[in-house]
Amino acid sequence: MSPVREARRARVWDPALRAFHWILAALVIANWLLGQFGPNVMTLHFWLGYSIAGLLLFRIVWGLVGPAPARFVSFIRGPRAILDYMRHLGKREPSLWPGHNPLGALSVVAMLLALIWQVGTGLISDPEDFINVGPLADQVSSATARKAVGWHHLGGSIILILVLLHVAVILYYRFWKNEDLVRPMITGWKWVRRR
Amino acid sequence: MRLIKSALVAGLIAVPVLATAQSGEDALEARHGYMRMLAINMGTLAGMAKGEIEYDEAAASTAGANIAALSQYGAVALFVPGTANGEIDESDALPAIWEKPEQFAQKFTAFAEVASGASEAVKGGQDNVGPALQKLGGTCKDCHDDFRKPE
Repeated sequence: MSPVREARRARVWDPALRAFHWILAALVIANWLLGQFGPNVMTLHFWLGYSIAGLLLFRIVWGLVGPAPARFVSFIRGPRAILDYMRHLGKREPSLWPGHNPLGALSVVAMLLALIWQVGTGLISDPEDFINVGPLADQVSSATARKAVGWHHLGGSIILILVLLHVAVILYYRFWKNEDLVRPMITGWKWVRRR
Repeated sequence: MRLIKSALVAGLIAVPVLATAQSGEDALEARHGYMRMLAINMGTLAGMAKGEIEYDEAAASTAGANIAALSQYGAVALFVPGTANGEIDESDALPAIWEKPEQFAQKFTAFAEVASGASEAVKGGQDNVGPALQKLGGTCKDCHDDFRKPE
């Protein structure tokens, strides 16, 4: 049974995008925890960081050539569309949006930029402990490499905020708007508005 | 007599205060020199561990011995009050150093423990440098995490 009369089930998220999402979530959480509480010799943190860099590269390529719901041009919208969407945000009904909504698109972009920032600052960081030096730290000045450590810490805080915001919004949709956004990211199928 | 006594007491109090007041910049400079000396020797070991410098047992062992010698120096005393980040130019020392002096001193004790075996640990081949360096560097990171401003 459809949650509302004007809805139909549609295939929104392709398998590669779903795999990307959950692997990225797992690696980002693991690497954040390793950064905060992990061993002093950060070899694993480095390797997970490289894996995340690979995932980000995939997402950028997928955003250019992937299926429509994954493509940047199809979901990044202007201020009017965002304000339009926000007018219905408080309503207690499912959005039935077929993919990233215009407001959520900002979150996607913010997260991608934050993670790219994090990979970049990590690669050039030199914490002056002689064991956890980023592989590209010698490509920048030592002052920049030192500052990059602070930028990397700042990036960690920004990512934490973005992830918590993401989870909070998912819960808001689930309990206030009565729309399950987690299952579609697992199965690929989502209730969307009939046109 | 009383006057002499008072003057003596005042003098005894004033000397260390004056010494401290004058030594802030010296202490900061000494700290940076101390870290620079550590960095030169750690850099030798890091270069050998990565294969950027050809392994030389005597040179590695000397670097380890230098680090051990430096670890015995009372560097904690160089962190005189008034030399935290924001109190004096060029300082990355966090106020936590003076708020948690025991924990701060403990970091140097941990470093000295690891450093005491470094000269021997790096002998016997290039493969031995990496693990020894990781132990040393781990104590650097451990202290930097809590007590140095990341900028």
